[in-house]
Amino acid sequence: MSDTMVTSNRSRRKKQLRNLGYWVVVALIILPFLFPLIWMLLSSLKVQADITRVPPVWSFTPTTQHYRAVFAEHDFAHYIFNSGVIALGSTAFSLLLGLPAAYSIARFQQTKFSLGILVARIAPGITFLIPWFMLFSRLRMVDTYTSMILAHMLVGLPFIVWVMTPFFEGIPVELEQAAMIDGASQAGAFFRVLLPLTGPGVITSSILAFVFSWNNFMFGVVLTGARTKTLPVAVFNFMAYSEINWGGLMAAAVIITAPVIVIALIAQKYIIQGLTAGAVKE
Amino acid sequence: MKRLLTALMVITILVAMSFSVLAAEQPFKGTTLRIVLSNHPWTDAIRPLLSEFEEATGIRLQVESLFEDQLSQKLLVEFASGTSTIDVFMQRPLQEAKQFQENGWYTDLRPFAEADQDIDLDDFFPSALLAETVEGVLTGIPIVTEQEIIYYRKDLFEQAGISVPTTMEEFEAAAAHFHDPENSFFGFVSRGQRAAAVTQFSSFLYSFGGNFDVDGVATLNTPESIEAFTYYGDMLRNYGPPGVLNMSWPQALAIFAQGNAAMYTDASVFYSNMLDPEQSDVGELVGFAQFPAGRAGSRPYSVVSWGISMAQTSKNKEAAWEFIKWATGKEITLAAQAGQVPSARTSAWENPEGVKSFPAQLVEVIMASSEGSMPYDRPNVIGVGEARDVVGTVIVTAIEGGDVAAAANKANRDYQAILDREK
Repeated sequence: MSDTMVTSNRSRRKKQLRNLGYWVVVALIILPFLFPLIWMLLSSLKVQADITRVPPVWSFTPTTQHYRAVFAEHDFAHYIFNSGVIALGSTAFSLLLGLPAAYSIARFQQTKFSLGILVARIAPGITFLIPWFMLFSRLRMVDTYTSMILAHMLVGLPFIVWVMTPFFEGIPVELEQAAMIDGASQAGAFFRVLLPLTGPGVITSSILAFVFSWNNFMFGVVLTGARTKTLPVAVFNFMAYSEINWGGLMAAAVIITAPVIVIALIAQKYIIQGLTAGAVKE
Repeated sequence: MKRLLTALMVITILVAMSFSVLAAEQPFKGTTLRIVLSNHPWTDAIRPLLSEFEEATGIRLQVESLFEDQLSQKLLVEFASGTSTIDVFMQRPLQEAKQFQENGWYTDLRPFAEADQDIDLDDFFPSALLAETVEGVLTGIPIVTEQEIIYYRKDLFEQAGISVPTTMEEFEAAAAHFHDPENSFFGFVSRGQRAAAVTQFSSFLYSFGGNFDVDGVATLNTPESIEAFTYYGDMLRNYGPPGVLNMSWPQALAIFAQGNAAMYTDASVFYSNMLDPEQSDVGELVGFAQFPAGRAGSRPYSVVSWGISMAQTSKNKEAAWEFIKWATGKEITLAAQAGQVPSARTSAWENPEGVKSFPAQLVEVIMASSEGSMPYDRPNVIGVGEARDVVGTVIVTAIEGGDVAAAANKANRDYQAILDREK
């Protein structure tokens, strides 16, 4: 009797220890990744003199002055709107062109076509920058949403095509045929049968395309002006010659990062599904 | 009848004149200028005044303002494409003028300035205009100047009864006296990061009698230059904070501003950060002193850090000149200087209004530093970035306590190669 109690106690303690070890390892792995984010959040709530203090201050009275300044003095609402329009626009148009393209690549084995799209994606973005600028400035389209949406589609579109092609390949052609027997056209079968089945893929690829556009800095520097300046470009408003407003910079960084983190948390299930689906085919 | 006719004629002429006066009041009505500026206190100072200019001239201004690195990137892409619509832009003559001029991206402002005496070029520091002149072309009008000075802790020097150092020997002695690393207090702090340190090292180089190059020959390994490298490296290694190799101005300034160092050498523009209680714990305790004298005397740099220029591709050059003349004119310069932007105009420095926002001690130091100063703070070549890396390597070796002579010899060869390439 007492023997069994000892063993069960021991095994419980063993289990607890193992659990503890698990969480220690998890913390060790996560901390380096989270630390910059925590630092950013803390700094955005400190006054300037405390931010650069060595050794760092851990207890302080939080201030919201930086967040207020970000919206009141720096017009961040405007930049959020700009980034939103451009990210949503480029993602929507990439889906519009990319989904049918991926479908067609999957069904008709257009490997050369898909390779062509991939090449455009592999070339570093900066190579497109000067030609684009020449083109857009001749067309008087610099500092318009259209030019930025087109520019961001360069990355978003190939991404969607490449993520979606294996999805469409993974769906048995019989399903489509069945739909067509029931009277659907090819397009009807695509929209009514295929798209709903590839939902996770569509969500994954559009989230990643959206996040790319939201974060992209290089295209924005050159192709935007006062009217369409995007968030990553606007963050640099806090850096000036001989003066860096760390607090404002951190508050702006928190504001930019927050939606991306929220989206990622909500959609992480889909993203994992989306990236692994199609990896194994029957 | 005759009288009536004369009267009518007089009236007609008067009316016509008044119309032409009205027209002259807004001579550029309908013109739009695209102006690209840097995030800088100067930009903040003139921004609220822009509408006055628009009303007076009828020119509409489209102003963008960017961080300096982005500004460079944007200017490069736009000008290289040849389809830029920029009319007026801010630029750093020491960093960009040679390259931009080589590419033909500037409109020479000299003909404009000579035809229009309102600008009064003679009012500018001659060295400042020289800094903007590349191969005889006036590439821009200087708007911001800076000198290297010593920031020191008035309170500590007074307590210790030590006078403010005027020579390199006194400078080192003072650093040694205050250095107390066990209590995280350091005798001296300055930039130690490879390329960033080069500009603040340059005044040491000149004061020891060295230079980057003389008549196209690299002089990084002369005995004078090696002495300067060694001195700067020793100072930071012996009396500087740990981690100085990673310090550019934001880190170095923070150490001094938080009251952890006795002396700091850097550009005069940082004084406003020091005095701002939000950014600094030492505000009232900061003293300003002229750069210490070495073998060749006190020879700090005194440079034009920013100027304003007209793009070659501008389609509205007359209007662009009107803006440049206004923005660099005596009145606006005075207003900008009242907003803590040190200008290149003598008239602004002589006007009590113009120096009101500067501590009196700083004005004295700035004036004194302008004499015997050097007009550049970095290698004067097109490949500035590359040359700064080369010079910075020797600084790093000196701080680490390595073989300075060997590093200087190697750097000298590399720098000579850059000079030869650009001949």
